[in-house]
Amino acid sequence: MTGTQNLPSSPTQSRSKKTLLVTDPPKFDLESYIQNYQGRTRFERLLQIGLCSTFLGVDALRLAVKEAKQGKDTKRYIQAQGHLQTIGPNEPESRRDQAWIEATDKKNQAETTRLQTELNGYKHNLIKESIRMGNEDLGKQYQAMGDLPKASEAFSRMRQDISISKHIVDVSRHLIEVATEQRNWMTVTSNVQKIRGILSSSDEDKSILPYLQAAEALACFENGDYRNAALVFLGTDTGLGSTAATIISPNDVAIYGGLCALASMDRNELQKKVLENSSFRTYLELEPQIRRAIAFFVNSRYTACLNVLETYRADYLLDIYLQKHFEELYHLIRSKSIVQYFIPFSCVTVDSLNQAFAPPGKTVDKELAMMIQNNELNARINTIERLLEAVPSNPRTELQRGALQITDDYAREARRRIMHMNVSMADLEVKGKRGTGHNNMGLSDDLFGEPVGRELRSRGAGSTMLS
Amino acid sequence: MDDFLPKLLSFPQHPPPTTPLTDTQYDDCIRAQITAVKSIPDSKLLVHTSSGESVLDFINPAINTVPYTFTLLATITALQKGSKTVKGDNLWDNMTGFLATFDPRQIRYLGSELSTIIEAVVEFARQRGQSGAAVAPVSNALLRYDPTGGMLTSKHLVLVRLALSSRQLADAVPTLDKPILYFPTAQKPLKSKLLCNLSNSPNVYITSDGGFSRKLKSWEVLEYFLYRGMIYMGTRNWKKAHQSLEDAFTFPTKDGVVSKIQIDAYKKWVLVGLLLKGKLLGLPKVTGSGPAKSFHIIAKPYEAVAQIFESGTATRLKAEVDVGNVIWQNDCNMGLILHVLAAYQKNQIRNLASIYTKMSIQEVHTSTTSAETGARLPNVQATETLVRSMIADGSLPATLSASPNLVLSFSLVGQVLSEPQFQRELAASTTQIKALTDEIKHTDHMLTHEKDYIKWLQKQKNSGKNAADLGVGGMDMDWNGDDEDLMAGAY
Repeated sequence: MTGTQNLPSSPTQSRSKKTLLVTDPPKFDLESYIQNYQGRTRFERLLQIGLCSTFLGVDALRLAVKEAKQGKDTKRYIQAQGHLQTIGPNEPESRRDQAWIEATDKKNQAETTRLQTELNGYKHNLIKESIRMGNEDLGKQYQAMGDLPKASEAFSRMRQDISISKHIVDVSRHLIEVATEQRNWMTVTSNVQKIRGILSSSDEDKSILPYLQAAEALACFENGDYRNAALVFLGTDTGLGSTAATIISPNDVAIYGGLCALASMDRNELQKKVLENSSFRTYLELEPQIRRAIAFFVNSRYTACLNVLETYRADYLLDIYLQKHFEELYHLIRSKSIVQYFIPFSCVTVDSLNQAFAPPGKTVDKELAMMIQNNELNARINTIERLLEAVPSNPRTELQRGALQITDDYAREARRRIMHMNVSMADLEVKGKRGTGHNNMGLSDDLFGEPVGRELRSRGAGSTMLS
Repeated sequence: MDDFLPKLLSFPQHPPPTTPLTDTQYDDCIRAQITAVKSIPDSKLLVHTSSGESVLDFINPAINTVPYTFTLLATITALQKGSKTVKGDNLWDNMTGFLATFDPRQIRYLGSELSTIIEAVVEFARQRGQSGAAVAPVSNALLRYDPTGGMLTSKHLVLVRLALSSRQLADAVPTLDKPILYFPTAQKPLKSKLLCNLSNSPNVYITSDGGFSRKLKSWEVLEYFLYRGMIYMGTRNWKKAHQSLEDAFTFPTKDGVVSKIQIDAYKKWVLVGLLLKGKLLGLPKVTGSGPAKSFHIIAKPYEAVAQIFESGTATRLKAEVDVGNVIWQNDCNMGLILHVLAAYQKNQIRNLASIYTKMSIQEVHTSTTSAETGARLPNVQATETLVRSMIADGSLPATLSASPNLVLSFSLVGQVLSEPQFQRELAASTTQIKALTDEIKHTDHMLTHEKDYIKWLQKQKNSGKNAADLGVGGMDMDWNGDDEDLMAGAY
């Protein structure tokens, strides 16, 4: 199936040890996949596939080199070309086009200088609108060159010269794009909020909503907040189309949203919020397998659900965002399946669980123990008869125990408070040497009575504390 | 001798009058008697009767506490002075008998005398190298004198020191079990509050001027809590030890200073918490922020041990303990640390109960490690012995099947209370809470009659402000109000 282990098939492995290797053929077609995207994310995605897939690696890197050559970012070109040289030295693209690099670098520099001079000119003349546009151009130039911090800086400077609300949208969109590439999700979320704050109910403003929702959801997702990510993804309005193609495609919305929902919602919620959600359905139609997986889960066919995910594992592992999260999501979904599977039973054999959920050749024993330990599964393992047994609940005993515990705690707390009141009435608090109380504790020969607070402050965590 | 005998026995009346004396009458009578008895010189009290009996032989301390007290005192003083004429053969029996039977109402007038007798008992036992023998009489006397046990006196300190130094721990426990609520203050007893009124709380008849206890210093109070905790540790009552130590380090402090006793208490508390709950517990909410900071800095090694105990391996725990050897020894906590090491594997086994219902002893053997050696137990038999001992002492609710294939079955639901048992527990809790309500009212009353508070109130009034909303607004039992509702639901 998948090869997350050290298979010796890829020569790039030595170069980037941490890169995950995917040896299975993905289900998608590279050309049509990359058609979904625009801008710099295309290169990122191609490079990711190129590095991770042993199956599409060469193709993807070749496309990546082409992609890079159409742009201005020479660093990217060198990167992609370097990788291609290692794994596909026979490809015509694997030779380094030094002339192009030099020419592009020179051109870039000249263009940047020109834009900067222009901007300085505008600033000199104090023409607000021109300054704003100058900054925008400069930001775009930096972004294209791959200098993201400077791009972000230039775009931020646009904010000073904003005159209409559409400008705010522009600034924030630029910033969202740059921040997404930098994986700076804080900035993404804050800019989404900024745009939200000024949106009117006009149709034009509404059309940007799916974009915002998708960006926000992606930020949640990347932060590992699957539950919220699911909710935001599911709330994405229809009509994302290619408006967010520089960041995310409608297919991605379906996949991310579906997986997050599977990982964080119960069956009822999945039915109501996912399958019966009319706006999200338009997205789900793009990725029918996700719809199938969810439907299987809702119908309690957990093995089938996991099988679907397993089949598409290669695809998901090649996605730039999903790669990091897939294993965890998969684990969550499987744990949840086990929990759900177990609900109607008081006792299940471990072997049947193995059959249903364990990856081939492995057992779920350890995982079950972990889940019980983390309170995800309310059950106990019987290793003698190899059973998973439900914990008989006894609400009466629990209530009784709880009630007695509460009265006990209450009485203790009450007594402590009475005592503390009496302490203050008897003027018995522990005081420092400066204390004016007549029960001066600073008796020098009195080891116990000596206050240490002050020494502590000056000495820090010294070792001779109790001398 | 015989001539002043009626004087000695004049009070209480015998046989008792048909209508019991009112508190005021009682107060007058007993005061008169004390004055009368005091006026008799010691030498006369020591004279034997015509039939050759000593006064101590025929006065019943349970009824005629006053004359017995003074005669006993006279005997003690005479013996201390080395008088040859007084026989001290029965002195120990007389003293302990007195401490076990004195009348709790009359004794309230004799605070300083009782104090002297208690000290004499302690001294007597110490001189004969059997200080442990004094623990039980002193403990009983304290409870007799103050049945609520809520007042901390200097005699309590004597008791805990005595118990710890003589290792006679169990005898002191009944007194230590009483929660401390009050401390002796210099407050003059109000005229309206007669000492003999049995409904009065101990802080009416135990004051720092009363002679029974002097005013305590804060470090003495802390020392009491610490020692009490150590006594509980000695009796393996980890829960009470934990609470007592908690009382010590949550003791109110001013300006963020911390007493060393509190730090010692905190260190022990961390370790006892491991023995009790198997994990590092959070500080109680009442801990001041200043002290809390000091605790975390100074007791760092202890917290490290606790963290490893909770989530680390046996090998790491052992290594950590070995590294800190000097620290534990300097803090006199080596014994506790050894307990913690021994508890590690037991804790592991107990945790297995939250994952498994049944498992073979072989599996228990392979999945747990001893922190005493940092390795697995040498053989399955050792594990079996350990598990058996845990089941026997009740720390592991489980059963072990018979040989040869030993299967450990954990009991899923811990201890189940039967219906009547639960009713009893609940009733006990109710009375406890009701009693507490009285204590709260009482403390509230004392607070509102406090000199400083009245002065402040007067100032408020003089400056023309409305003092109504500034005062103590009645008793406030409702600091975490939900509890009350939960209680109501349990009935």
